[in-house]
Amino acid sequence: MKDMYKDPAYYENRELSWLSFDERILGEARDKTTPLFERLKFLSITASNLDEFFMVRVASLLDMVNADYQGKDISGMTALEQLDAIHSRVHSMVRLQYSTWQRSLLPGLKQAGLTVIQDHRKLTREQAAFVDDYFMENVYPVLTPMAVDSSRPFPLIVNKTLNLGALLKKKNEKDAELEFATVQVPSVLPRIISIPNREQEMHSVILLEEIIARNMQKLFLSYDVLCVHPYRIMRNADLTIDEDEAGDLLKEIERQLRRRQWGEVIRLEVDKNVDKRLLKILKKEFAVKSDGIYPIDGPLDLTFLMKLYGLKGFGAYKEPKYTLQPVPGLSGRSDIFEAIREGDILLHHPYQSFDPVVDFVRQAARDKDVLAIKQTLYRVSGNSPIIAALAQAAENGKQVSVLVELKARFDEENNIAWAKMLERAGCHVIYGLVGLKTHSKITLVVRREEDGIRRYVHLGTGNYNDSTAKLYTDMGLLTCAEPIGEDATAVFNMLSGYSEPESWNKLSLAPLWLRDRFLFLIRRETMNAKNGEPAHIVAKMNSLCDQEIIAALYEASAAGVKIELIVRGICSLKVGIPGISENITVRSIVGTFLEHTRIYYFLNSGGEEEVYMASADWMPRNLDRRVEILFPVEKEELKREVMHVLDIQLKDTLKAQVKQPDGSYAKVKRRGQSALCAQQYFMEYAKRLNKKEEEPAHGRVFVPAEPM
Amino acid sequence: MAYKIFGTIDVGSYELNLKIYEISAERGVHVINHVRHRMELGSDTYETGNIGVRMEDELCGTLLDFKKILREFGADEYRACATSAIREAHNTPVLLDRIYVETGIRLEILSNAEQRFLGYKSIASNEERFRDYIAEGAAIVDVGGGSIQISLFDEGNLVTTQNIRMGTLRLKERLTEVEERTVRYASVIEELLDNELKTYRKLYLKDRDVNNILMMGSYLGNINQFIHEKQPGENKFAKKEFLRLYDYFMETGNQAIAQRLGIPAENGTLLTPAMVIYKRLLEETGAQNVIILHNDLGDGLAYDYAERKKIIIPHHNFENDIIESARRIAKRYRTDHAHTHTMEKMALTIFDKMKKAHGLKKRERLLLQIAVILHDCGSYINMSQSSECSYNIIMASEIIGISDREREMIANIVRFNSGDILSFEEVAAGSLLVQAEYVKIAKLTAILCVANALDRSHQQKIKDIRITFRDEHTMNIHVNSLEDLTLEQSLFREKTEFFEKVYSIRPVLKIKKAV
Repeated sequence: MKDMYKDPAYYENRELSWLSFDERILGEARDKTTPLFERLKFLSITASNLDEFFMVRVASLLDMVNADYQGKDISGMTALEQLDAIHSRVHSMVRLQYSTWQRSLLPGLKQAGLTVIQDHRKLTREQAAFVDDYFMENVYPVLTPMAVDSSRPFPLIVNKTLNLGALLKKKNEKDAELEFATVQVPSVLPRIISIPNREQEMHSVILLEEIIARNMQKLFLSYDVLCVHPYRIMRNADLTIDEDEAGDLLKEIERQLRRRQWGEVIRLEVDKNVDKRLLKILKKEFAVKSDGIYPIDGPLDLTFLMKLYGLKGFGAYKEPKYTLQPVPGLSGRSDIFEAIREGDILLHHPYQSFDPVVDFVRQAARDKDVLAIKQTLYRVSGNSPIIAALAQAAENGKQVSVLVELKARFDEENNIAWAKMLERAGCHVIYGLVGLKTHSKITLVVRREEDGIRRYVHLGTGNYNDSTAKLYTDMGLLTCAEPIGEDATAVFNMLSGYSEPESWNKLSLAPLWLRDRFLFLIRRETMNAKNGEPAHIVAKMNSLCDQEIIAALYEASAAGVKIELIVRGICSLKVGIPGISENITVRSIVGTFLEHTRIYYFLNSGGEEEVYMASADWMPRNLDRRVEILFPVEKEELKREVMHVLDIQLKDTLKAQVKQPDGSYAKVKRRGQSALCAQQYFMEYAKRLNKKEEEPAHGRVFVPAEPM
Repeated sequence: MAYKIFGTIDVGSYELNLKIYEISAERGVHVINHVRHRMELGSDTYETGNIGVRMEDELCGTLLDFKKILREFGADEYRACATSAIREAHNTPVLLDRIYVETGIRLEILSNAEQRFLGYKSIASNEERFRDYIAEGAAIVDVGGGSIQISLFDEGNLVTTQNIRMGTLRLKERLTEVEERTVRYASVIEELLDNELKTYRKLYLKDRDVNNILMMGSYLGNINQFIHEKQPGENKFAKKEFLRLYDYFMETGNQAIAQRLGIPAENGTLLTPAMVIYKRLLEETGAQNVIILHNDLGDGLAYDYAERKKIIIPHHNFENDIIESARRIAKRYRTDHAHTHTMEKMALTIFDKMKKAHGLKKRERLLLQIAVILHDCGSYINMSQSSECSYNIIMASEIIGISDREREMIANIVRFNSGDILSFEEVAAGSLLVQAEYVKIAKLTAILCVANALDRSHQQKIKDIRITFRDEHTMNIHVNSLEDLTLEQSLFREKTEFFEKVYSIRPVLKIKKAV
């Protein structure tokens, strides 16, 4: 690889690229063609995204700065430079978030018949009485007000919680010193409270913190409350465990969880009208730098908007509910194994239901011929039917092995709990691998059949999580092809700590082989282009920021390979660099569903077109520090289906945004093409697939035969 | 389709292997899972003579996990075998017991001859081109962690097989200190190896034409893949291609080449000794081509199982190989071929007619045949102590396909044929044998003695015999001969006393002077 393709000027910093992704979501919240309540949802997502971004990425940059690390990223920026750039960008983004809320969404809601009261002083007398009653009955008992003085140290403020800070002064003491007090807005109570509104006959709601603020005086009876303002902090939450040293991984993570609350404060959000004296105290106590302080013009923590979305009614302002479609070929069949034997089955979630995947494990748990079930679990839902089925299988005497990835971010607590549950049920649980995250999504069912052992395999691009499968777009494959079954067995052997197989049939695994495999596939196109043959790559993923891959793509583009990328989030690749990336287009689709499928297409002139799906993005962490699986889709019919998905995404004119040479994203210029929303299309398409099946062989219209 | 799921566990000197096979008449022997655990058991044994506690723990833990995997595939049966790393350890019996108590696995210790025979069996049944390869003059070389086994073929027959105790891991262990002190590590290995190889060449290789080497051993798959990067599936390469790789290896060094070959760092420790061994073998045998074999002990065990269960009918007669290799030993000690040949025929005839009386099976028939073949090899050393000498020669020889216990049985049969018959207590001291085996020895010795008596003169006066039973205590041996049988007849009584003692049947010689 020539170094000319690795010039930092050709790369965009991943954090800034991520911010532009969050800005694209904000764009959806600002888009007046989006239904009003959907816009609330998008705004809420931008806020929760930012929270996670701070906890993980900003925190890790801060760690680097604290460690005085001078290294530069692929775009040539130091950690400090990145932090500065991030803060200035996030400050303006937050301003945009709140102006969207205040100027566009709030008035819009009012028009739609929903009043959100943001200031308790604006309550009517009747409402005020209702709110005060509510406070005494429901809120007061769970509050823990804490005052700070010389005898009481500053209390622990828990990460991400919403708090009210107040300045107090002893009653009847003129020269008394100002005292600071704080109370956490209890997360056990709903943040949004519906209140009566008889005058306007409208649905009115108020936020919990306003109710508390209004009644603050009742918490500090011997004081005068001078001011009350909400604030919220974000702490460093990146779990960097040195796995080589942690003898017992499980214990170490449990310990880290307790410690996490004590992390360094990296962001302080506070009411923009905050009293200067109060702010000074917060700033000092949290030791947060000026650019980490975010004055907020509106309610803190916009994730409550997701709850607002959930209010009953307002159907006219939401996307019509989509009914998950059954998978043609599986609907009405009681034996999933028989169906798989008849041919590989492709699944496209959430357009098609996730049930077949759950059923696959469930039936395996009950089937008398099934000997063993093996599965990797990364993130699962709270009350996962898959976990229940696995436990059931173990109780039914099946050999069940489950690799539970404990290092799945923010999910550790959850994961430890059900991993222990599985162990009690008799499953063999592997608690992740030292130094690697197991991100692959694979299930293997070994079944003893009349004509031999047969292995059934599910491979997917998304987690085994029935809840997120309704929100994320993902694809999966059910197969009993022997070469894949063999490989799947080898995967689980490796995950159990045994040596790698002598060779692989179909699968490519990270971290050992996947990077080389991708580079090989890209370079094969480059060679073809150089030899004057057609060359084409289409790749769809969540993030693209791996330098070696990007350099290979640049080289391919320079050689004349047509490269079409569909990258939802981070994209460090720059388009339109003369002589480097002129043949590359990048588009990002932000829609109702979170784009999550990873598909890689290579034209492979002179041979068969190759279509792969994977659990991996083109990111260093996927290729070097995780166990990931790339699998081919080989059955011609299914290959066409997957290529169709890519094709429709490339034709999207409504939700797609195209990356420009300056790094910004712009909506597609339709240029006479008909309007197409890919996600909408797939919803219709999934329905159509089922109709096709139900239709009788003869239509209702009689067709006169043509003369021979 | 009827099929069996069979598991094999191979406790090797540097790797534990679990293989699970689906075996059916239709599809043959088919691996469905292969699990490998890297563990240098041999480094304890070869260095200290014992297997240490930590190794034991790891071994038991892994075996227990293997059992779980066997259940995952619903294995009907399995066989767990260990080779030199455990065979040569002093604490073997205690270790085997611990393994059984902790895992429920009865680990069998295979003798080298058994182990190699199984390996050979899997090659012959698996490799379609096997016949072509051996027709051209070939050697099968199996390079293990503990030793190297070289088997020579001539005109399609196994001629000889010899074990050289210089495996990759053993070489490495011997030279651990040297490795740190020298930059000529490879040449030191070569020197150490050369001494053994030279002896071997002098004894066995002269005048033999070895064209092809069929090789089994670590890294060969990687080497083959490297050479045939563009022709996947090809498993044959020329000597010069290997030597080119070898030179490149010596220039580039162990680590770089391991990476090029795609060998994980932790598995690359034996690469240098392996490369040197391969090179020296190629040079010594003068072979032009290397054919890579992927068979291992597990495959052998699986074929053996398939054969025993009559799921697969072998197209190669392996018993012949065993007999042939016994004949080669007999030939080396210049035994009387004509005499042996006649005796074989008579002994086996008696054995077959006596089935009801002795209740022995095909395997014992084979042991009897080998005992006949080797019954006089000791005369080569000392005619007056031929029985003791024969015993010692047999005990020191490796007869492919014969276990250590079977070998000891043969040695005893031969010894009792011309010497005193020892009691079980006398035999049992320092022996592997149990009472049941002693009884078999007695039964076979009795038959051998009768056969021997029938050709006392070594002149093949009796060519054919016919057996009838007059009553339950008398067996008539009818012979047709025009020659003078006075010698045979006069000594017959004395030589067959033991037979009568064992079977309560008196053999009577009935001579008919006619053609």
